[in-house]
Amino acid sequence: MSNLKVNIAGVDFKNPIIPASGTFGFGREYNEFYPIAELGGFSTKGLTLVERDGNANPRIAESPMGMLNSVGLQNPGVDYFLKNYLPWLKTIDTKIIANVAGSTVEDYISICDKVSVDGVDMVELNISCPNVKAGGAALGIDPKNVEMITRAVRDACKKQLMIKLTPNVANIADNARAAEAGGADAISLINTVGGMVVNYKTRRPVLANIMGGVSGAAIKPIALKMVWQCYNAVNIPIIGLGGITSYTDVLEFMICGASAVQIGAANIYDPMASYNILKDLERYVAENNIDINELVGTLKV
Amino acid sequence: MMKDRIIEVISNVCIASEIFEMVVSTDDFPDMVGGQFIHIALPSEAHPLRRPFCIADYDTAEKTVTIVYAVLGEGTKILSKVTAGSQLKALFPLGNGFDLDESFKTIALVGGGLGVAVLPAIPTTWPDREYHSFLGFAQASKAVLIDNLNRKSKIYIATDDGSLGEKGFVTSLLASKLNEIKPDAILCCGPEIMYKSLARELEGIDIPVFISLERRMGCGVGACLVCNCKVKTAKGDKYLRACVEGPVFPMREVIL
Repeated sequence: MSNLKVNIAGVDFKNPIIPASGTFGFGREYNEFYPIAELGGFSTKGLTLVERDGNANPRIAESPMGMLNSVGLQNPGVDYFLKNYLPWLKTIDTKIIANVAGSTVEDYISICDKVSVDGVDMVELNISCPNVKAGGAALGIDPKNVEMITRAVRDACKKQLMIKLTPNVANIADNARAAEAGGADAISLINTVGGMVVNYKTRRPVLANIMGGVSGAAIKPIALKMVWQCYNAVNIPIIGLGGITSYTDVLEFMICGASAVQIGAANIYDPMASYNILKDLERYVAENNIDINELVGTLKV
Repeated sequence: MMKDRIIEVISNVCIASEIFEMVVSTDDFPDMVGGQFIHIALPSEAHPLRRPFCIADYDTAEKTVTIVYAVLGEGTKILSKVTAGSQLKALFPLGNGFDLDESFKTIALVGGGLGVAVLPAIPTTWPDREYHSFLGFAQASKAVLIDNLNRKSKIYIATDDGSLGEKGFVTSLLASKLNEIKPDAILCCGPEIMYKSLARELEGIDIPVFISLERRMGCGVGACLVCNCKVKTAKGDKYLRACVEGPVFPMREVIL
């Protein structure tokens, strides 16, 4: 019998379509286009302990089949989110993943504690941002730091904990294992791939921050490879993302081992993207009488 | 509910050196005001980001929107090759647009370069005001929308090289006519350097000035936070979104 319901680490999602952090705000804008309650859930804009202004502009650039961003985690701060956005989100029948970031281990612990409230179903830890403890490098790079930060927040985080992995590492399977060893309930991957766009006429980078993160279809092959690598490395569920723009992309990620997917850049290209992908996926599973869960990790090699 | 619309290209022609005018139409025509913008998807998978263009003018009866754009990069090059009859996806109208107070009877419109493309829609939205349009171009070959604005306003032109109108900056031309025209408000669009020079020309002069900012844009609907503009607010200097809180801001509140 056809089915789109998925269960990620004990959390029930009505379908595996989840807009990715940073591409969906706090849901309000897209709810003007379609009922976001139809989605499996969504991951909030990255939250930090205190409000952040983010980087100077330009913050976005295009590259073939993709885009780069360097927003720099502009967000109103976790307290503002809890007071002003969460009450409305509680009225929406979809799963809310609070994406959180910090610049110190202590920040991560306190923010995980703060978002462990009614209305938040899962916490996604962004460990790709520069960290004071790691000498300015991201905690997500060295597997030892991945395990350390996961273990550090584990007790404070009363919700299902998902670690979002960066692809800018030596061997992502090691980082996935480190997250699992630290006590993560799930992992999501991949975050953006580091990149640059340069204007040869002005000899200047397009982004004010010089470097940014590449997303969109251009990174899909990288993401598929890494999802497959991690699927073979860990037993915890994987939410796959990186360049998904169609329902066939969703199927490919699930076949490579993702239990659900996140849609990122596609929401920026087209406000209807996540909804349209969901509708196409619904049609596909109905027509083919598929339980979507049966696809997970069925890559024939 | 907001919606993504399919627009049909009615015409797409070169109107000045490397500058095109595109007229698009849709049956389901929404209400709009001068200063709002349209976010157009290119017919190219390799170029996935939409391109935001100010609504240069619109015609509610004909259900058309006009945009005027310079062919600057790959995206606008692709757009310039789109033929009449083609269909594109577009979000519009987006952004706040201008908001003309009843007390603004005489209005100075100021455009620099392709910034002039923001101006014609203003008299279309508020036809019952007196308009004076100050248009600055690099040279005569780049001059656009003069006929349109000539129908709706008294026009004054300046070019960098003097090949059309007066030689010099349009902001100086405006300053030289302020006493004569006595505008109740100044609405301006152009490069940021022009806003700086406008701010200098208007130092000590108490006329409301509204400017339209241009930013590289992502979603266009307020979610992705890439089109940030630094603006003075009650809570200090904040990054606001050009696509939702803007693109029109009071000039004196913008950190240029």
